[in-house]
Amino acid sequence: MELTKHTTDIERRKAANVRTALVFASIAVVFFVGIIVAHAYGGPLVGVAVMGVAVLLFLAFAIGRNLRSK
Amino acid sequence: MSSVTHDHAPGYGHADDGHAHHPSGITRWLTTTNHKDIGTMYLWFSFTMFLVGGAMAMVIRAELFQPGLQIVNPEFFNSMTTLHGLIMVFGAIMPAAVGFANWQIPMMIGAPDMAFARMNNWSFWLLPPAAILLLTSLFVPGGAAAGGWTMYPPLTVQAGMGMDLTIFAVHILGASSIMGSINIITTILNLRAPGMTMMKLPLFCWAWLITAYLLIAVMPVLAGAVTMLLTDRHFGTTFFNAAGGGDPVLFQHVFWFFGHPEVYIIILPAFGIISQIIPAFSRKPLFGYASMVYALAAIAILSFIVWAHHMFTVGMPAAGLLFFMYATMLIAVPTGVKVFNWLATMWKGSITLESPMLFAIGFLFLFTLGGFTGLVLAITPVDIQLQDTYYVVAHFHYVMVAGSLFAFFGGVYFWIPKWTGTMYDERLGKIHFWSSMLAFNLTFFPMHFLGLAGMPRRIPDYAQQFADWNMLASIGAFWFGASQLLFLYIVLKCIMHKGEKAPAKPWEGADTLEWTLPSPAPYHTFETPPVIK
Repeated sequence: MELTKHTTDIERRKAANVRTALVFASIAVVFFVGIIVAHAYGGPLVGVAVMGVAVLLFLAFAIGRNLRSK
Repeated sequence: MSSVTHDHAPGYGHADDGHAHHPSGITRWLTTTNHKDIGTMYLWFSFTMFLVGGAMAMVIRAELFQPGLQIVNPEFFNSMTTLHGLIMVFGAIMPAAVGFANWQIPMMIGAPDMAFARMNNWSFWLLPPAAILLLTSLFVPGGAAAGGWTMYPPLTVQAGMGMDLTIFAVHILGASSIMGSINIITTILNLRAPGMTMMKLPLFCWAWLITAYLLIAVMPVLAGAVTMLLTDRHFGTTFFNAAGGGDPVLFQHVFWFFGHPEVYIIILPAFGIISQIIPAFSRKPLFGYASMVYALAAIAILSFIVWAHHMFTVGMPAAGLLFFMYATMLIAVPTGVKVFNWLATMWKGSITLESPMLFAIGFLFLFTLGGFTGLVLAITPVDIQLQDTYYVVAHFHYVMVAGSLFAFFGGVYFWIPKWTGTMYDERLGKIHFWSSMLAFNLTFFPMHFLGLAGMPRRIPDYAQQFADWNMLASIGAFWFGASQLLFLYIVLKCIMHKGEKAPAKPWEGADTLEWTLPSPAPYHTFETPPVIK
């Protein structure tokens, strides 16, 4: 019984670590791709659009997770 | 953290200390996932690169000892200034900070290791190939990159194969930094011991958490900029080529959007180390803990809106010049909060002047001087006069060497008893400090005069009127370089256990979790987390 609880705790912690890492890795990817796309396909408008869409997606992801946990 | 105490959870009490089962020899270092081993490798890599970058600085100062061309040709001189900058920033200072983070963060927050131990190993082992790429670029046709560490086009678009190697090296170093940052953020956010709330975190961990956020925001931007440089060089794009509709100034904007936060990436971990040392040797809790955390965050946020002060002379609207001038000056406010809080911590403390504290006070004095010359350079009309002169070289060496490097030396002396189990030689540590302090000022203080007199940077030759100060600066540089061999000797003595055995807590005023562990810290620590009250 104790062992199962311990294993579940470890798995839960590992899953939390992977989620945190994925969020930050995706931010890095958005910045890397965003800066190149913004300059390849136009002026500041594309840059603002890339950033805006990224922020909205992260927001939707965060709200979705929050609602699901309730 | 001074008010934090901790209980040993049932079964805790370093019963796990005997679990030091690990491979030996080279396999241990190649395959290790232990944060202490990886921290050690980062610190040794960093010191090796510090010596390599330092040797390049010696070439530069030897050439500048007298006016005229004596030792190297101008192309090689330019390669030396370029590689010296890249190696010191990406190969020496940043890995040193990550080394401290690897060693200290898990022990300070009561975690058994970093969150992603295998990725940690990979983050480190990306560094040697990047260093090899940078150094072998010296031997390819056309020589190493010679356009400065800032890699401005159009010069770098036209440069030889060495530039490609540099671009790949920057990509690899960036990937390593991003992986390291993700690891540090995840570790601090998810692996803190029960009861350690965010506002109980040691300041060093706070400083690194904010640094890691900065790294994730700006390293991809640098990677994007050099990728565009690469496609301009080989794939027919014209991001930075005016003839094809691009703009060379665009690179400067993108580069400095990375480059200015990079300054804080380099200095914030140093702030964290100083915030651990000063309370320990003043035997007082850190003054204004919360304001120190907010000041760190404010500095990080402001660092994103000041980048164009590096390029006042490229031609900007007056409103832009004013905005970037005032925004830059605004950074002095949170930085001032930190400096005054450190001073207030020392005020009426029972101060003793062991080597870590000497380096911390040296840092405080010289970093403030470097910060002050930064304020001078923030004033647009003054900057237009001083742009690309030795005044700028003096300014950033006061921030990077007397700032970061002195803090790192202080950090090594502070924690080496915990790392090796042996006390360092205090007399030699003090000699190292005074020798470094005097030599550093002899090297870089005259550069203020040279810059104000109009001597441009990145040139192998100069007019006769600059000869005296240059000669002094070169003597100081060789003295400073020799002083660091003494540091190597002191560290090696500790590693070979030639010195007094270190107690678990050698510093009376130190109160973070790592000091509850025996010295040297066991291979595995906090497998059962401590409970923080």
